[in-house]
Amino acid sequence: MESSGMELYVKILITGGSFLLPQRLAAALAGAHDVVLTARSELDEDAPGHRFLRSDLGHDDATNELVRGMDVIVHSGESDEDATESERLDVAMRCTYNLLMAAAAERVPCFIYLGSLGILGKYDEDMTITERWRPVPTTDISDVCYHLGEFVCREFGRERKASVVCLRLGDLVWDGVESGEANSSALYFDDAVQAVEKALSAGEHGAGPAARSQALGKPGWNIFHIQSSVPKARFATGAAETHLGYSPAARS
Amino acid sequence: MNVLILGANGMLGPFVVNALEADHTLRLTDVNDFEDSRHEYFKLDVSDLDAVVDAAEGMDAIVNLSVLRPHRQIAFDVNARGAYNAMEAAVRHSIPRVINTGPHFTIAGPTYEDLDYRIGPDAPSASGTYLYALTKSLGQEISSVFTENHDVHVLTLLFYNFRDPGDHSTDGQDVIPYAVSWEDAGRAFGLALTVGLDTLPSRCEIFYIFTDLPHEKFSNEKAKRILGWQPQDRLEHLWRKGSR
Repeated sequence: MESSGMELYVKILITGGSFLLPQRLAAALAGAHDVVLTARSELDEDAPGHRFLRSDLGHDDATNELVRGMDVIVHSGESDEDATESERLDVAMRCTYNLLMAAAAERVPCFIYLGSLGILGKYDEDMTITERWRPVPTTDISDVCYHLGEFVCREFGRERKASVVCLRLGDLVWDGVESGEANSSALYFDDAVQAVEKALSAGEHGAGPAARSQALGKPGWNIFHIQSSVPKARFATGAAETHLGYSPAARS
Repeated sequence: MNVLILGANGMLGPFVVNALEADHTLRLTDVNDFEDSRHEYFKLDVSDLDAVVDAAEGMDAIVNLSVLRPHRQIAFDVNARGAYNAMEAAVRHSIPRVINTGPHFTIAGPTYEDLDYRIGPDAPSASGTYLYALTKSLGQEISSVFTENHDVHVLTLLFYNFRDPGDHSTDGQDVIPYAVSWEDAGRAFGLALTVGLDTLPSRCEIFYIFTDLPHEKFSNEKAKRILGWQPQDRLEHLWRKGSR
């Protein structure tokens, strides 16, 4: 990780390259960072501004080679709606485990898991849901996959084998959608990018892992709820604002 | 009761069959062939969702004994996705009771076991990253999620060290403080199958199954209190010096 001058320049691996959010994240971060996008399938289109490497995220040297030298891994918890339940579970659990094992072996200092606020969706809308609330996923396979991916990450954080930041993201809203049309869990793309940028740079302008832990709040495992500042916003983002400096754009 | 047993030909399977066959109609399944003419048998891979769902048709309970420890792909397939498949099969067939199994560190990983005593089964899960523990813990978490969303009960029996009381080769050398005889382990399944579901504190309950040991590292009190399980083999010769 290099911090010459004002800007932090890091090597970032982003998984889930066949999905829209990782693709857009890679494009958004590529100008300021060295970004590699990976997916378990080949991508049809070129990826301007960043490299693409296909990977099965398997239990082999290829995964270690993929993560070697990275400063940050941004791991998407999204699963392929066209895949079977079994395939989706396999990616959510085993591939996340493989990636974390490789990250631990290669001493990648920062691992960001992109989870979902959907695993808290069963709570009433009028409750103030913070990171202290227990996840209550449904058995919808997408919910289950986000939750189990997070579960694997948590154990690596617990054992300090990786420094994991779990960003539970709201319902993504893409360009052209007015805030009045978005739901109470909405997360606009530019706010999502900001949250990832804040997470990958937390504390690193200081003195390494200790400074990072201090900035994030705890060593090993930290959860932050990330959504946009929409009317009647459902999830509290105070922890992300305090520890990451997350500052979602005001939307009326 | 019609009972589907997944992984019936593993180490524990024969003891479970022995404990249940007098009172229940058993449908045995395993990924391997085995010769047991006394009961209906399906060869199936527990990681095959459709096969598990098909095998569960007409059953009143599912006992999941399937386990795989060292191989990363298969450990996830069997220990985690196998649990998902058992729960999915139970929900699709409205089977009210699933008996799940695993090692004690499904819940109590090293952050408990290395530090604490009187560890009970209702502590929050902290398996750590050891493959066997984490994959079984994922299976348990999956089971829990299903019980919170569907009218299905899961009773999870956690074991670790199985012993033959007649084996005196390690007498007086102490024992892993989470040991049980094969027969006592088998008896726990009969109780888990018959305990009233309306008497359970919740739809997802975990029980530590090991014999009464003086170490007080773990607690088997809940299994005694709720299931009425009482170990008959004390294994005292393993941890008392005078037995050498």
